[in-house]
Amino acid sequence: MSLVATSSRAPSSRAGAGRPIIVAVTGAAGFLGSNLVGSLEEDERIGRIVTIDVAPVPTAGRKTRSYEIDLTQPTAEARVAEVLSAERVDAVAHLAFLSCPTHATAWAHELESVGTMHVTVGARHAQVRKLVLWSHTWLYGAHPSNPNFLTEKHDLRAPRSEPYFADKIEAEEQARKLAQRAPGTVVTVLRMAPILGPTVRNAFSQYLARKLVPTMMGFDPLVQFLHEVDAIAALHLALLRDAQGTFNVVGEGVLPLSTAIKLAGRVAVPVPHPLAETVATVGWLAQLLDAPPAFLKYLRFLCVADARKARQEMGFTPAYTSREALLDFVSAQRLRDVKLLSETTA
Amino acid sequence: MTRKKRRGGGGGAASGEGPRADTRQDASERALHAEGADVPQRSPGSRTRPRRKSAPPPPPGKGGEPQAARNGREPTRLRGEIEPPAEAPAPPIPAERPSEAEVAARIRELEERLDRMIADRTRDRESQTMLPRSEPPPGRPSTAPPSAAPEGVLDTARELLSTDFYLRKWGRLGLRNRSEEVDEFGYDPVYEQKVLPFFDFLYDKYFRVEAHGAEQIPAEGPCLLVANHSGTVPFDGMMLRLAVRREHPQHRDVRWLAEDVIFHFPFLGSFSNRVGAVRACQENAERLLDHGALVAVFPEGMKGIGKLYRERYRLQRFGRGGFVKLCLRTRTPVVPVAIVGGEETNPMLAKVEYLTKALGIPYLPVTPTFPLLGPVGLLPAPTKWKVVFGAPMEFGEYGAESAEDEILVGRLTEQVRGAIQGMLDRTVGERRSIWFG
Repeated sequence: MSLVATSSRAPSSRAGAGRPIIVAVTGAAGFLGSNLVGSLEEDERIGRIVTIDVAPVPTAGRKTRSYEIDLTQPTAEARVAEVLSAERVDAVAHLAFLSCPTHATAWAHELESVGTMHVTVGARHAQVRKLVLWSHTWLYGAHPSNPNFLTEKHDLRAPRSEPYFADKIEAEEQARKLAQRAPGTVVTVLRMAPILGPTVRNAFSQYLARKLVPTMMGFDPLVQFLHEVDAIAALHLALLRDAQGTFNVVGEGVLPLSTAIKLAGRVAVPVPHPLAETVATVGWLAQLLDAPPAFLKYLRFLCVADARKARQEMGFTPAYTSREALLDFVSAQRLRDVKLLSETTA
Repeated sequence: MTRKKRRGGGGGAASGEGPRADTRQDASERALHAEGADVPQRSPGSRTRPRRKSAPPPPPGKGGEPQAARNGREPTRLRGEIEPPAEAPAPPIPAERPSEAEVAARIRELEERLDRMIADRTRDRESQTMLPRSEPPPGRPSTAPPSAAPEGVLDTARELLSTDFYLRKWGRLGLRNRSEEVDEFGYDPVYEQKVLPFFDFLYDKYFRVEAHGAEQIPAEGPCLLVANHSGTVPFDGMMLRLAVRREHPQHRDVRWLAEDVIFHFPFLGSFSNRVGAVRACQENAERLLDHGALVAVFPEGMKGIGKLYRERYRLQRFGRGGFVKLCLRTRTPVVPVAIVGGEETNPMLAKVEYLTKALGIPYLPVTPTFPLLGPVGLLPAPTKWKVVFGAPMEFGEYGAESAEDEILVGRLTEQVRGAIQGMLDRTVGERRSIWFG
């Protein structure tokens, strides 16, 4: 059941398979980054972990070397290239993305879109063999014309007017450009469903953490989740195994949004969608709300991805279903509600 | 102080009570480590179990934060008090296996004792009502010692006054009448059972549907039902589903593909989705057929629903032959279906397309009753329905690559269309009355 067992079935096809791999993780102080570093620390196939972030990495251990690089600085690409080539890094996991929308859109653009450019340019100069990029299934966009299961072939139709999506779509484009310019490089993009679990915090967990959860009246789309443990495992696996291309990483099964809210023990407050959109626009502009109006579409229409490609080509099968991920989040959230669990840092 | 000491025995279990800063760091760090350590191992059981009574203290590197917090607070506090009585009668277990009833009684007794302890504890701490009690235990007032009764009442009252109680109740009640899990296309069998009486009434009493030749549908494996679309308000998908479920020897379930338009609208989209409709597109149809489902399509699409009364039972263009391509690719047999009666339920005299785009609808139907009587005018007329299934048509002799051959696809589409048109003409010709068949 452990990751070691699953990936030893098909040994990675890299050139020097015996030599331990040197991995760099950007955004290593974030939730995904720090947990990934913790997981890599315990893997004997990983020789060294190079972390790139502005904050100290809480899970840094014996194998970790930390570098403080701010990806929003113009000099970042030179420094990234320098660090990657000095440490002779084989694979980079680029996780410096925001999991919650922010009002500081200019800074977010520098970090996500331009920061990814810095990392890809640095990786190309340092001749890194592999880049693993975190992405989101929400980039497909929620549309009534979506098929029930979106495959990797579908266009990214999330509204470009929303910087939270536009920056991430641009980041994917940067990664694709790297694959074209440096043909030998393996570029793996993992599009993950909303991550839920006992410790993670992101836009969707905040939505479900409210006592009164707004929904769109008359709409009840199907939703899917990914457990945080599976998210880390997928990133870990992608670093070890060569899988070129884009993969949806989602938990099995779907459930209606209303059921998810009820399983979380929350009260759904149906709001007519024209009204909700007006309120959300005004609230977002006035910085009273923490989610932009573009997110409301995801409460109305389908945006569910198909995990078959990841299973067949990357050999990744999530351990938790969508429902189990949700219940695991709920069990921790209940404790948080009654203040039996202090807030997590991630 | 004593509590702190006890907690020390709990194997480094930190909780929210200790000094804030170091607890935070300790707990979160361990959680992060733990998540990293047992990455692919699933332990939802251990995590979601509400109380661990006498579990050994977790090793410092294992277990997420929630468990740590729980071990730190509630159970460790209780352990010192509860364990001796729990251990004392333990030996009989290996000697003779107690019956299930005994075990259940024992568990109930322990639970009652635990509840009482928690209640005592709550009373001690004057402002604390936040312990996660899942339910107000129904049997507690009777089991509690008589002296505790007034406090018990007070307790219940306090619980009833807290909003949390109602929020929890609401959450539970919310899942009545629906299953907790839907299939991957959103069909909810429990919800369908709930609304089925209404559709049964339509099928038996209102439209008095007669189905002929349902046995032509293969007993198993993927199959595509191709039917004429009818009625300004389409009930034909659901009626077709009921007809096959009742008349077919294997009572197969039909999933029908519905136009995108209904998914734009509130209520309509999610309702149809829960009772079995799936958005019409190649990907969905292919996936359903892959699972060996029986799928119904209405290739006329919106043009079928939007037929005027004088055009009734004249099949419109069959899309772009998408369903034939699908059948060629997946080697699925086609069963032509004629639905007679549906096209007179809401006889459309004209359609207004002026300014309707602004409302997000393709057109505004004008029937003898509709804009006149308001929404009531959309009620279907009680016509007599007949559903006729034709002989299956196999396209197996053409290979999967012939799906790219537009000429062939067009010819096969016409063939299916001709078959359905023939069945329609025959059935309509035999009919003497719209109302009585």
